[in-house]
Amino acid sequence: MIFFFVASLLLSLASGILLTFLFFPSRKSAAADLAFRLFAGAGLGFGVTSCLYFVCLLTGLTRYLSAIDLGVCLLLGIPYFILFRRPAARGGQPLPKTGQPSRFPILLAGIFSIELVASVISFVFAFLKEPHGRWDAWLIWNMHARFLFRGGEHWRDAFASGLDWSHWDYPLLLPLSIARGWQYIGGESLSIPAVMAFVFTFLTLGLLWSGLSLLRSRSHGYLAAMVLMGTPLFISMGAAQFADIPLAFFMLTTLVLLLLHARSPENQPGALILAGLAAGSCAWTKNEGLLFLLIVTGSLLCKAVYAGGWRSALNRTAGFLAGALPILLMVIYFKTQLSPANDLFSGFGPAAAAAKLTDFGRYAEIAKAFFITGLSFTQGLIDVRVGMHLNPGAVSILLLIVYLFLAGVRIDGRDRIIVFQSTAVLGLMLIGYFFIYVLTPLDLSYHLATSLNRLLLQLWPSVIFLCFMVAGSPETSIEDRPAIAPAQPDTRSTKVHKPRITREPK
Amino acid sequence: MSPAHTTYLQKAGITLLVVLTGYAILNLLWQGIRSYPDLPATDPVTIHETRIAQLLPLLPASDAVGYVTTVGNDRIFAAEKSFTNVEFLAQYVLTQYTLAPRIVRNSPDLPLVVGNFIDGPPPAGFLEKNGLVPLKDFGDGLILYRRERKH
Repeated sequence: MIFFFVASLLLSLASGILLTFLFFPSRKSAAADLAFRLFAGAGLGFGVTSCLYFVCLLTGLTRYLSAIDLGVCLLLGIPYFILFRRPAARGGQPLPKTGQPSRFPILLAGIFSIELVASVISFVFAFLKEPHGRWDAWLIWNMHARFLFRGGEHWRDAFASGLDWSHWDYPLLLPLSIARGWQYIGGESLSIPAVMAFVFTFLTLGLLWSGLSLLRSRSHGYLAAMVLMGTPLFISMGAAQFADIPLAFFMLTTLVLLLLHARSPENQPGALILAGLAAGSCAWTKNEGLLFLLIVTGSLLCKAVYAGGWRSALNRTAGFLAGALPILLMVIYFKTQLSPANDLFSGFGPAAAAAKLTDFGRYAEIAKAFFITGLSFTQGLIDVRVGMHLNPGAVSILLLIVYLFLAGVRIDGRDRIIVFQSTAVLGLMLIGYFFIYVLTPLDLSYHLATSLNRLLLQLWPSVIFLCFMVAGSPETSIEDRPAIAPAQPDTRSTKVHKPRITREPK
Repeated sequence: MSPAHTTYLQKAGITLLVVLTGYAILNLLWQGIRSYPDLPATDPVTIHETRIAQLLPLLPASDAVGYVTTVGNDRIFAAEKSFTNVEFLAQYVLTQYTLAPRIVRNSPDLPLVVGNFIDGPPPAGFLEKNGLVPLKDFGDGLILYRRERKH
């Protein structure tokens, strides 16, 4: 059983990693680069293999699933070994060379390692307490996985069952990934949803660390990962087996890949295509991911028009959408052929919308909830019977603000536009969430109390990532020399490279 | 501001961040360690699932079944929405979770109906009114009913 489950994980992992090598040619001499491929690629691999399993379900080929997965791996692997096996043929941008290791990153690595072990143990305790996950896990995600797996040839019936409370319009990446694991081992096991939850929780952590290690420095990566590990809600929601953590992972992957695309020489489209794949995976994970995909596409179009005119804008947006397209086709098929109407939008007329949009009491209630939950959501699940109350705890958005205030702001010239764009994406997501609450047909207090902390958690790893993308360098403050030498100058980027900007406290 | 002052502030920022995140991580770990001895040998979902799984041999492989509990069917979701009682909904959802891919309808109007009375008996006259006749009593508040007549 373990062998087959490990095989299913490895095939997902290999598919994703090979995709990163194919679309984003290798960089030299960087462990962080390999780590980034491992973490981002593994998650993308789950997106790809969940789609393959969906196609197998649609075509009745589930018995050949492992052969199909293996075939796709080989299809991705062969061109990689033919085209890119020689480093000289890769044409990738060399990464910064590592200089003499300084004590500061080593000290941070030590603290990080201890905290990582503590977080893994905390995750295990949370799993032992609730091995089936929390409420939404067995009400939605694992329930859907059971219907997909147990339904056999009649797996479609569940979508027309009328069990609206289980939200059969929710996308299928997580249930399919769980059911795929069961398909491989030939039966159900509690450990598969738990392992999926563990994998996505710690992939998010690893991606945050490796993304910042690639784009800023390892110290930035360690500090950012510490903030995420210090978020109790992140660990508890990870162990709760909800889809919010996989969605947070794919959102973060999209933003990191967009940053890497902005840094790549000649703006090679590979990272952009992978960013599209990640954004498509967002839409395949939760309905909020559709909003994210829409906003990222729009922001990409606006940014490209601003930076290079319409032709360039259309080319870049097309590259991004080309990456999203395979998964988007699954989403479109699912939404048009299988999914029932969404409970938030069904039977929702213009008159009802207008009445809600002009009810300013709703705006005040939502703004208050955003403020209180925005400061407190990191501290864990709220007791809905008690309601929301202010509790920033040790780690919250306030800590990031204070840290930026003390460490200063330093934005690499190459990153200015993309950092602004990513911040705008997160801001627009918040605005989108706000208006979903304005228009919700559910009881507003109930809807806010049961979902807002999870929506904010979806954005939290990306917020931490952007915060550390603009934070001053820890190395220079501790030892006055960087552990990693500056990147080789690139003539395009040096034109806009600005010296360090420190926002001084008043 | 002088570079020395800036460096001092950055050191303060890093120290603050490491200390507070370390505190949060270790506090979460401590909560887990402290609660571990109090964990029940079997979690509530597994207990409920084991209980409900007794029905499986008597149910058809794919047909829908009905569901009744301590309160009227219309109150199961209402109690959860008003946060007055989430247990009734949890028990219904876990019954569906266990019996999938059979559909468990929140209604007594089906030929076979699951009675889940772990929190007490149904309202007086409810079973008679809906023509529910016990088919098998599994104990512990779990009864499978057959619907004899329709009102």
